[in-house]
Amino acid sequence: MYDFTYARVSSVADAAKQLKGDDDAKAVAGGMTLIPTLKLRLAKPSALVDLGGVKDLAGIKVDGKTVTIGAMTTHGAVAASAEVKKAIPALAHLAAHIGDPAVRNRGTIGGSVANNDPAADYPAGVLALGATIVTNERQIAADDFFKGMFETALKPGELITAISFPVPEKAAYMKFPNPASRYAMVGVFVAKTAGGVRVAVTGAAPSVFRQKDMEAALTKKWAPDAIEGIKQKQDGLNSDIHASAEYRAHLVGVMAKRAVQAAG
Amino acid sequence: MDLTGEVRLAADRETVWRALNDPEILKQAIPGCESVEKLSDTEFTAKVVLKIGPMKATFSGKGTLGDLNPPNGYTISGEGQGGVAGFGKGSAKVELSDDAGQTVLRYTAAAQVGGKIAQLGARLIDATAKKLADQFFVKFAEVVNGKPAG
Repeated sequence: MYDFTYARVSSVADAAKQLKGDDDAKAVAGGMTLIPTLKLRLAKPSALVDLGGVKDLAGIKVDGKTVTIGAMTTHGAVAASAEVKKAIPALAHLAAHIGDPAVRNRGTIGGSVANNDPAADYPAGVLALGATIVTNERQIAADDFFKGMFETALKPGELITAISFPVPEKAAYMKFPNPASRYAMVGVFVAKTAGGVRVAVTGAAPSVFRQKDMEAALTKKWAPDAIEGIKQKQDGLNSDIHASAEYRAHLVGVMAKRAVQAAG
Repeated sequence: MDLTGEVRLAADRETVWRALNDPEILKQAIPGCESVEKLSDTEFTAKVVLKIGPMKATFSGKGTLGDLNPPNGYTISGEGQGGVAGFGKGSAKVELSDDAGQTVLRYTAAAQVGGKIAQLGARLIDATAKKLADQFFVKFAEVVNGKPAG
C-alpha cells in the first residue's frame, strides 16, 4: 500500500483548502476512475480528499426551466429521478446506461464531468444541452469547459458543486457501447434548445465535440433524414483495437440519426 | 503508430539546429520534463512526468541523437522506464529546410508503450502521443521564436 493521507471533509471550502495546499492531493467523488487507477499503481497521490461527507452536494432540483444536479449525485439517482425523467428524459436515459449497476451506484455526475474521459457519457449531455458547470469559484458554460482529452477549465483546487441543465424542447442520447466496459465507442447527444440545435459527440475523438454540420442541417429540418448525407471527417478521431477512425466516423452518423429519431 | 507534422519557425536553420541540440531547450519543450542531463554530444538522460487523466507516472530514460546531418536534421530517439506503469520508447526523424527566411521543421515520429499503462490506456495512446508531439513542437517553436515560455 502506498502511503497517503485520507481526509473526509465536511465542506467544499475545506476540500478546496486541502487541495490547494498540495499539488499531489486528489479529490475523490465516487472513485470509479481514481480507485482502480490507485489499485493499479498508476497514480500516487499524497492525499485523498473525500467529498462523500459533504452535505448539500448531492440532490436534484427542478426549478421552472432548469434542472440542477448536485455534483455528488450518483448516476443511479439521476436515472431513477422522476423529476429528471419528466423534465429531461434523455438525461435520465443517459445516466441509466453508464457502466453497470455498481458504477451507477457509486459514480457521480461531478466526478464524470471533472474527469472528462474521452468516452464518458455525461460530457455529451452537458455539452449538447448547453449546461452550466457551477464550481466553488464561478460558473462555466459547457462550451468553455471541455478543453481536450481529460482536460477541463477547472483550476487546481476548483471543485464542481453542481451542473445546471436548461430544459430542452427535444433531446435524445444514443450510444454504441463497448460491450465490455459500456463506455461509448461513439455516443451522440442531440438537443433542440432555446439557444438552437446542438449535437455533441463523445467517444469518437480525444474529447467531446460539437458536430456543427449536423447542427446546421437539423436547424433547417429536425428529422433523421436531414443528416443523411453528412459525413463525419475521420481526421483526429480515435483509432484503437475496438474500432478504427473510419468505423467511428460512420458510427457518428448512425448514432446521430437514431438520436434524432428517438427525440421525435 | 506514426505521427507526422510540420512547424514553421521564425529563425534561420543554423539557429534551429543549435536549439535541437541544446539540452536546456529540449528540457523546456519536452512536456512534463523535469531534467535533462547531457552525457555526450549525442546522448542524454531525462526524467519526464507523464500525466494522462488520472494516471501519473515518472519515466527515467535515455535519449540518443543519430543520423546527424547538421544543420539539416537528425533522428532523436529515447526509451524510458516508468516503474510499475510500464515502459515507453519512441523516435522522431526531424528535417529542416529553408523557406522565405524561415525554417520549416518536418517530423515523423513513432512511439510504442508497453506494460500496464499500455494495457489500460490502449485507447488513449494514439491521442496522447499526438498531444505530446504537438505540445513539444509548439513549445519548441515558442522557445526558438523567443516568445516568453509559459
